[in-house]
Amino acid sequence: MKRFLEIKSVTARYDGHIAISNISINLELGKFHVIMGPNGGGKTTLIRAIAGLMPYNGKITIEGVDAKRYRKENPIGYLAQRGAQFYDFPLNALEVVEMGRYRFKETNHIRKEKSLRFLEEVKMSSHANIPIGNLSGGQQQRVLIARALATESKLMLMDEPLTGMDPRTQSKFYEMLERLKEEHSLTIILSSHDLGFTTAYAENVFCINRRLVPHSEAVKLLKEPEVMKLYGPNIRLAKHYHISSNESEEKDV
Amino acid sequence: MFEVLKLPFMQRALIGGEFVAIIAGMISPILVFRKMSFMSVGISHGTFAGIALGIFLGISPLWSAMAFAVGLGLLIGFTSRTGKISEDATIGTLFSFSMAFGIVLISLSKGYHPDVMGYLFGDLLAISSSDVYFAGVILFVTILWYVFRGKAIVYTTFDEDFSKIIGIHVDLDYYIFMAITALITVAVVRFVGVVLASSIMIAPAASAKMLSKKFSRIVVLAVFFGMISIFLGIAFSFSLNISSGPSVVFVVTTIFLISLVLKWIRGKYGSKNVKMV
Repeated sequence: MKRFLEIKSVTARYDGHIAISNISINLELGKFHVIMGPNGGGKTTLIRAIAGLMPYNGKITIEGVDAKRYRKENPIGYLAQRGAQFYDFPLNALEVVEMGRYRFKETNHIRKEKSLRFLEEVKMSSHANIPIGNLSGGQQQRVLIARALATESKLMLMDEPLTGMDPRTQSKFYEMLERLKEEHSLTIILSSHDLGFTTAYAENVFCINRRLVPHSEAVKLLKEPEVMKLYGPNIRLAKHYHISSNESEEKDV
Repeated sequence: MFEVLKLPFMQRALIGGEFVAIIAGMISPILVFRKMSFMSVGISHGTFAGIALGIFLGISPLWSAMAFAVGLGLLIGFTSRTGKISEDATIGTLFSFSMAFGIVLISLSKGYHPDVMGYLFGDLLAISSSDVYFAGVILFVTILWYVFRGKAIVYTTFDEDFSKIIGIHVDLDYYIFMAITALITVAVVRFVGVVLASSIMIAPAASAKMLSKKFSRIVVLAVFFGMISIFLGIAFSFSLNISSGPSVVFVVTTIFLISLVLKWIRGKYGSKNVKMV
């Protein structure tokens, strides 16, 4: 296993309360990792800590480099939880993608050309001049993925990107992510509390509920009557890495 | 009519007023999109305490107003950013205090102070050359800020988290923005008064926002609406012999109402028939 992201004993607080406690996990390069867990379980906190958007105790390294130093040289692709913040903001889809090119020293012409290419990759180039607020939720997400790709980061963090999407849109979204992962050699970390499509596409799933849920507990969780009722008996945990005492343990269920 | 333009006080009012309209038009879209419209109300009222402090201490009210407004702007920014208190709640608390503090200082000051009414509601006759120079300097600072940090501030307004990720110093830009807004407010206050300053700081952008969905055009429209409002407001003020502040506010509000009607027509008859700018 080629380690890409190492999280060691990370603890973070939100609003004065411990949101995640002593989480240690290693994530492999070029895989599609999913963080599962209940609402309020700390998924967003962990994603934000990796992205450098909130302080934490412990250590996060990316490609062997301390995350703080890594982020200075390599911006991270990031999709926040979907919100209503874009409804009336006067930027069009292309201008939003151009945000991802902020750190690159290039002419306006080249920046626009490259941004348009990233929009093409998510099949949104025909919407380049449409204000972001006039796009549907699914289209907005695709534009934000293009913006994350525009940073040319190898790590893509997504915080519950599928909230509120219908199953068909979710399925298409995952298919697109799989394609982009291969084309750009991305490592994707996506958080979700929805077991539906997520586990079908993920290559590695780990559960957190303020702390890393032990593998056996995660399996047990899937057998809870409420989960079974929601998702049927066929739902399963694909893979789960649980790191303890600096030892990694990989299990298939 | 053109004879009037030869009068020195009218020249000062027009030139300084247009400077103020340009800087207000540049900053107002950011205030509107950051949902910080109330900020200009808070700082303009806070300016009154600064003016009163200047009168009380016998120093130039412009300098004391500037110091007080920038201090208040940074305090509002700091408490709302670090204390998990909304900007509106902080401003609501601090601007009442500033007015109360100002009134106490004025009451304790000896003698009659004709400047106070001018600061409250704007007074064309009271505009000095130094007010015009001050507006000119603030305009220069605002243009520089736009040139160097304009894109970053638009990105931060749109999506603060992603802005941090791409390397924008979001906190530093925020405090610079607060300080510049405070300075702009001081300049605006001299022309339309403490009570009415928020109108010229907000209404042009609010009107422009209803007519365009492109940020750069909204800024241009806001500047244009502000300039028209100052010009017509001063013209009406002179010809009808009414106070300049309210006169400008009437024009600004009329433009806002016209924009509202245009937006309504556009919504009713569709964007194909009534094009946005």
